[in-house]
Amino acid sequence: MRLLRSVLVTLLALTKISFASSSSVLVVLDPSLDREDYSIFFGGLEERGYNLTFRAPRDTSPAITDYDVPNYDHVILFAPDTKTYAQDITPQSLVGLLSENINLLIALSPKQTPLTSLAAEFSLILPPPETPLISHHPARSEPPTTIPVPVLSSSPILTPGIPPIWFTGAPHALGSTPMLIPILRAPAESFAADPTSDADSDALVAASEKGGEGLWAGSQMGLVTGFQTKVNSRVVFAGGVKMFSDEYAKKELPSGGAPGNALLATDVAAWVFQEKLRLRIDGVEHHRVGESVAPEVYTTNDEIVYTAHISAYDSKTSAWKPYSGIDDLQLEFTMLDPHIRTSLPPVPGTPGTYQVQFRAPDRHGVFKFVLNWKRKGYSYLESSTTVPVVPPRHDQYPRFLSAAWPYYAGAISTSVGFFLFAALWLAGDVKGERKKGSKVE
Amino acid sequence: MAGSKSSSKSSSASSETSMAVSTLWKSYLDQTPDRLKFIDAFLVFIVLSGVLQFAYCVLVTNFPFNAFLAGFASSVGQFVLTASLRAQVNPENRSEFKDVSPERAFADFALGSIVLHFFVFNFLG
Repeated sequence: MRLLRSVLVTLLALTKISFASSSSVLVVLDPSLDREDYSIFFGGLEERGYNLTFRAPRDTSPAITDYDVPNYDHVILFAPDTKTYAQDITPQSLVGLLSENINLLIALSPKQTPLTSLAAEFSLILPPPETPLISHHPARSEPPTTIPVPVLSSSPILTPGIPPIWFTGAPHALGSTPMLIPILRAPAESFAADPTSDADSDALVAASEKGGEGLWAGSQMGLVTGFQTKVNSRVVFAGGVKMFSDEYAKKELPSGGAPGNALLATDVAAWVFQEKLRLRIDGVEHHRVGESVAPEVYTTNDEIVYTAHISAYDSKTSAWKPYSGIDDLQLEFTMLDPHIRTSLPPVPGTPGTYQVQFRAPDRHGVFKFVLNWKRKGYSYLESSTTVPVVPPRHDQYPRFLSAAWPYYAGAISTSVGFFLFAALWLAGDVKGERKKGSKVE
Repeated sequence: MAGSKSSSKSSSASSETSMAVSTLWKSYLDQTPDRLKFIDAFLVFIVLSGVLQFAYCVLVTNFPFNAFLAGFASSVGQFVLTASLRAQVNPENRSEFKDVSPERAFADFALGSIVLHFFVFNFLG
C-alpha cells in the first residue's frame, strides 16, 4: 500500500505535460455558469492533454454519439440546476454511455433535478430538496453553507497531505453497494438543512428534540463519491459544482493557508478519466510442474503452476507497465465451490508476474482457474479459465502397495509351496516306482 | 464325599479328553502312510497362511481388498485341491475312487492348482 502510494505520488508529481495520447472530453456546462470561473480546473485538464469541447445542456450539437459510436472519451456534467436536457444527454442516456467505457464526472446540487434520480441509480441517497450542507464550525466570515472540509486521504485515489477544501452543495448518503468508493466525507459537525430556516440553528434544535431522528448529519454523509462499473468505467458524483471553481481554489482557509480544491479536483479528475489505479490482466498461463505448455486435461492430484501477468497504466508515458504492487491477489480453483483458494504472490525479480503452485484436488470434473480481485478505487481484475480434470487412467495408479505385502506373501508362499510339494511328490513317486520295480523283479 | 466325587469326575473328564487326544495323535502317527502325512503337512501350512492373511485383514486393514481376496482365495483354493488329492490318493478310499488312479488324481490336482495360481496372480494386482 505504502509503495503504491509513493509510486502514485511520484507519477502525479511528474504529470505536468505528460499525457501523451490526447483524450476528448465533452463538458456540458450550464449557461448560468461561466467557463472563465473554472479556468484553473479546465486549464489543468487541457495542460494534461485533454481536448475539451463545451456545450450547453439544451444544445443538440456536438452530439455525444453518432449512430451509437461515441465521439468522446469522457463527459463532465457541470449542470447542477438544469431541469431539461437535449435528447442525447439526458442523464438516463449517460448511464448507457458507461457501458461504452465513457467515464463521467457529475456535479449535483441541492435542487431537485433529473440528476437526483440519476444519483439514486448509483445507490446514492440525496437529502430532501433545498437542504444543502451547513456547518457552523469553524468560525468564519463566510455563510454557513460554505464549508471548509478536511480531507482524510484514506482512499488510494487521493494523494496524502491535501489541505482542507471549500465546499458548497448537497451531501448524500451512501448505499450499501460495494462498487461505491467514498472519496470525500462531510465533516462530523455538519448537517443538511434549509439555510433560510436555520438562522439560529433551529433545525438542529428541532432535531435534537426528536432525538436526532431524520437529521442528515455527520461524517457518514459523503460529499464526493466515486462508482466503478463492472466494465471498469468510472463515475464521480460531487455534491456541488463550486468546489471546482477558481474562487474557491483561491479563497484562504479560516485557519490560514491555501485550500486544497485544485489538488482534489486534479486527483479526482485523474481517477475518473482512468489515469490512476488502472490495472489489467495481460495474460494467464497454467501448466503442470516441469512442463511449459498447458495440457489438454489434468489428472487429479497433479501439481499445477498458475501464472498471471498484470500491468498498470502509466499516464506519464501513456503505456502499460508490468505492476507487482498487488500483495493480496488470490487464485481459486473452482468447481461449483472453490476447492482450492490460495494467494497468488508476486514473483520477485520478474515485474508484473504472479505465480503459485498447488496440487489439483482429489475430485475429477470441470474446474475453473478464477482470478477475482476487486478493491475500492482500482480496476476490477477478473479472469476465468476452464480446464477438465480427469481421474487417473487404469495404468496411472500405484502398482505394488506396501499395505498389501501379507497378501502378496501369502499368495507367493502358496504357489512356492505347491511347486515344492509337487516336486517332492513326484520324486517320491519315482522312488516308489524304483522300489516297486525292484520288488517285482 | 460328593465334592471329591465331582472333582475326581471333572479331573477324570479333563484327563479323559487329554488321553483321548494323545491316543488320537499316536494312532495318527502310527497308522497314517508317509505320503498322506506329507500332504497333511502341506495342508497345515496352507491353513496357517490363510489364517494369517485373514487375521491381518480383520485386525489391521482390508485396504487393497482385491489383494486380500486373491491371497485368501489362493489359500482356500489350494487347500480344497490338496484335500481332494488326499481323499483320492488314500488307499482306504480305493472302493470309492475305482476309476481314478493316483496319477490321474495328481494330474488333476496339478492342473487345478496352476489355473488357480494364474487367476490369483491376475487378481492380486
